[in-house]
Amino acid sequence: MTSSRTRLALALALGVVAVAVAVAVSATLGAQSISLAAAFAGQDPDAAILFSLRLPRALLAALVGCALAAAGTALQALLRNPLAEPFVLGVSGGAALGGSSVLVAAAARSRVAGPAGDLLGAAPPVAAGAVAGAALSTVLVFGLGRIGGRLVPEAALLVGIVFNSFVAGVITLMKMLVPPEQASRLMYWLLGAVGYESTGTLLAGALLVALSIAVLVALSARLNLLTLGDEEAASLGVDVRRVRAWVFFAASAATGAAVALAGMVGFVGLIVPHLVRRAVGPDHRLLVPASALFGAAFLVLADALARLAFLPLGTEPPVGAVTAFLGGPFFLWLLRRTARTELSP
Amino acid sequence: MRPLIPRRTAVLLALAALAAALPAAGADELRASGKGAAEGGAVWFGARPERPPRRVVVLAPSLTDVVLAMGLSDRLVGVTRHDDAPEVARLPRVGGFLDPNPEAVLALSPDLVLWVTDGGALAPVRRIAELSRASSRPFPILAIPIVTVADVLETPRIVGDALGERAAGEKLARALAADVEAVRRRAAGLARKRVLFVVGREPLVVAGPGSFPDELLRICAASNVVRGELPWPVYPLELAVADDPDVVVDAAPQEPAEGIRRLSAIRAIRERRVVRLASDDLIRAGPRMVRGLGELFRGLHPEAR
Repeated sequence: MTSSRTRLALALALGVVAVAVAVAVSATLGAQSISLAAAFAGQDPDAAILFSLRLPRALLAALVGCALAAAGTALQALLRNPLAEPFVLGVSGGAALGGSSVLVAAAARSRVAGPAGDLLGAAPPVAAGAVAGAALSTVLVFGLGRIGGRLVPEAALLVGIVFNSFVAGVITLMKMLVPPEQASRLMYWLLGAVGYESTGTLLAGALLVALSIAVLVALSARLNLLTLGDEEAASLGVDVRRVRAWVFFAASAATGAAVALAGMVGFVGLIVPHLVRRAVGPDHRLLVPASALFGAAFLVLADALARLAFLPLGTEPPVGAVTAFLGGPFFLWLLRRTARTELSP
Repeated sequence: MRPLIPRRTAVLLALAALAAALPAAGADELRASGKGAAEGGAVWFGARPERPPRRVVVLAPSLTDVVLAMGLSDRLVGVTRHDDAPEVARLPRVGGFLDPNPEAVLALSPDLVLWVTDGGALAPVRRIAELSRASSRPFPILAIPIVTVADVLETPRIVGDALGERAAGEKLARALAADVEAVRRRAAGLARKRVLFVVGREPLVVAGPGSFPDELLRICAASNVVRGELPWPVYPLELAVADDPDVVVDAAPQEPAEGIRRLSAIRAIRERRVVRLASDDLIRAGPRMVRGLGELFRGLHPEAR
C-alpha cells in the first residue's frame, strides 16, 4: 500500500500535467491557425495571438476553474452533499450581485463626483464587492437551509436555486440603471465568459485564488472530520464553528475572485470534484488540491471548446454556456444517483 | 365506461384550439416578404387612408427622421423612446423598437402607424393590427422593410406617398441619393482600405456581412475584414488580430474613447489607426445614415480633400 504522501505527490503531479496539457492544447487551437515556429520567432500576428491572447486567456480560465472546483469541494464537505456547488448554491449569484452593486454605485457616483466614481468602478473594488456578496450569500444559504437547528442539504440547495433566480432578476433591473458600456459587463456576469484581462488583473486574481486555496488545503484534514457530522467532529477536538467560518470565507473568496474575473460560470465545482473523488477517494487532503488542479484543466478545455465550436459562424459563445450544457445533465444524473443510494442503503 | 374527458368538453376544447390558431395564421401576413423596400417590399395592413393622415405614430426613429426631413413634424403624435430629435422631444412615447406598446399606440387614436419590418417586434405589432381591426376606427399599418442602402433611399418616396406628400418624398429621396452618389464619386479611384467596424469591446462585437456598415464601407472605398455568416457577430479577438485591418472604426460613441485600447492586440489600435465616430448615425437607417456616411468617408480617407 502506498503511503498517503506518495499518493498526494502522484495526484499533484498528474494534476499539474493535466493543466499543462490543457493549456498547451488551448494555446495551439483557435479561430486562426498559427505557426508555432513563427510565434516563437516573434513574428506577428502569430506571436501576438499566442502570447498576448491565447496564453493569458488559458491562464485566466485555469485560475477560474481552479477556484470554482476548490470552492465546490469545500462546500460539498460543509453541506455533506455532492450536489453543493458555488453556482447551484447561489454563492456565484451573490458574488455577481455584490460586484454589480459596486458597478451601479460607481455609475451613480461618477454622475455626481466624476473621477471618484470611475475609481470605484475599477477592478479591485468590484472584486471586493464580489467577495463580500459571495460571503453574504453563503451565510444566507446555510442559515436558511437550517430547519429546526439542523442543516438540511436539500433545503439549502433550494434556497440557493431560488436566490440565483432572484439575482438574475435584480441584475436585469440594474442593467437599466447603468450606462450602456457597463450594461454589457453586467450581462457578461450573468452568462459567465472567459475573456481577455490585463496582466495586473490576472496577477491580483491569482493572488486571491492562491490564498483562499491555501486556506482550504490547510483545513483539508479538518474537512475530513467535518464530513462525519458536527458532534463527531467536535468530540474529536475540532473547533467546528471556527473551522466552518474559515472554510466559508475561503470558499467565498475563491468564488468571488472567479466571478469577478469571468462571471457566473456554472457547474465546474460539481463536475470536477465528483470525477476527482472517484479517482482519488474521499480524503480531502488529496481531494482539495487535486480538484483545484483538474478544475483548472477542465475549464481551460471547456473554453477552448467554446472558442472552436461555433467557428463556421465566425463567432463564439461564452464558456458558461458550455459548462451549463455539460453540467445541467450531470447535476440531474447525480441527483438521481444520490437519491437512489439514500433510498437503498 | 366514462371517458376521461366528456365528449362535449373535447369538442369545445378542439374548437377553442382552432379559434386560437386562426388569428395567428391570418396575421402571418405581417411577416417580412423577403423583399426590401426598394424592391416593392413595403406592405399595407388595413385599408389605405383616403385622406392624408394627420395623426401618425412612428415605431422606428429612422422613419421619424424621414418625416421630419420632409418638414411634416406636425403630423406626428407618437414616437419610440429611442427618438432623440428635438422636434419630437415633447411627443408621447409608445415603447421601444422591439417592444412597441399596443395600449399606448391605441390610446393616441392614430390614423396611420409606420413600422420598419422587424421580426423582433412581430408579436406586439400583430397585436396592434388585431386591436385596430376590432376597433370602431381601424387604422392601417405601413410596414417598410429596410435592409439595404437602396431601401433607405427608397423609403422617403414610400413615406411621402403614404402621407399624401408625394413631391416632398421625391425631393428628399433625390437629395439623399445625390449625397450617397457624391461619396461614391469621391471614393472612385482611391486605394481600398481594409476595415474592422467595432460596435462593442467587451465582448468584441463587430459589423459582419449583411449589416449596414458592411455595405456603407464598400461605398467608401473600403472593405470589411469580417467574414462569416452573422451580421453582428461576437467576433473572436484572434481573428481580428490575424485580419490585421488597415483601420479600426470605433462605432461606440457612448463609451469612453480610451476603452478601445482594450483591443490593443490589434496592430491598427496599437498604431492608433482608429476612426472614432461621434454619433451612431450610421446605424440609423434614414437621413442620418447618409449624413454619417460622409463622416465615415472623411475619417477613412483624410487624404481625399
